[in-house]
Amino acid sequence: MNHELLNGLSSAEAERVLGLGTRLIVPSGTSLFQLGDSADRLFLTERGRIRLTLPIQVRGREEDVFVEERSPGQTVGWSALIPPYRFTLTATASLHEAEVIALPREALREYLAANPAAGYRIALNLAVVIGHRLQLFQTMWLREMQRTVEMRSV
Amino acid sequence: MEMFLMALCISVFGLGVAAAAFGAATRSESSGSAVQPQIPVVKAVAPTRFFSDSVVVPPVVVARRVPIEALLLQIENHVRMEQAAAEVFIAFPTQARLHSKTTSPFVN
Repeated sequence: MNHELLNGLSSAEAERVLGLGTRLIVPSGTSLFQLGDSADRLFLTERGRIRLTLPIQVRGREEDVFVEERSPGQTVGWSALIPPYRFTLTATASLHEAEVIALPREALREYLAANPAAGYRIALNLAVVIGHRLQLFQTMWLREMQRTVEMRSV
Repeated sequence: MEMFLMALCISVFGLGVAAAAFGAATRSESSGSAVQPQIPVVKAVAPTRFFSDSVVVPPVVVARRVPIEALLLQIENHVRMEQAAAEVFIAFPTQARLHSKTTSPFVN
């Protein structure tokens, strides 16, 4: 399994990082974390898919609306490394059970501080993950704004 | 004298025409009301809004009768399609790709 967060690390380095974590099985429909929860662990998806959702009001009811889906190899919950360390989405296993590796923030930070070369690679990989999310949602936001402007200009 | 008689004839004729027209108008009004169905009074549904002359009803409001599960599925499909469009833009950013029209039924 190639994890996007561990790109560029040697297999030995990657194994050491993965060894910091714990494997978790997330049954289908079970939440891995909820919006607003304290984010003290980062997750690497091993198997299955994780749905990321946000609550919105639909006909007066609060409903979790699909935002994004993470596949094996992808990172979930990078809020664990970014202050104020609170999850900003809800993560749930999709139709099938999922398997993730949960990396505790403190253990990861200690390892990265002790291994600056690996820390540099992981920080760059994390920037790619966060940057892609930013670009994606910036584009989606602009397209929605464009539609709103067109609707109001009629 | 001839002029006076001519004016009198024209006046009498005009009065007759006017009386006939009035009679026809009142007849059609009374008989029409008995045959025509009553037109229901349509109440305004749009709330009064300040600073807004034309209220654009979004497609979501139009599709109110769609079951909520179907609506959530429509939203999910819309998000997936928009993400795909955004991915295409990110891979090769151009203004045309940024503003490419979506075929998502949620907004069309």
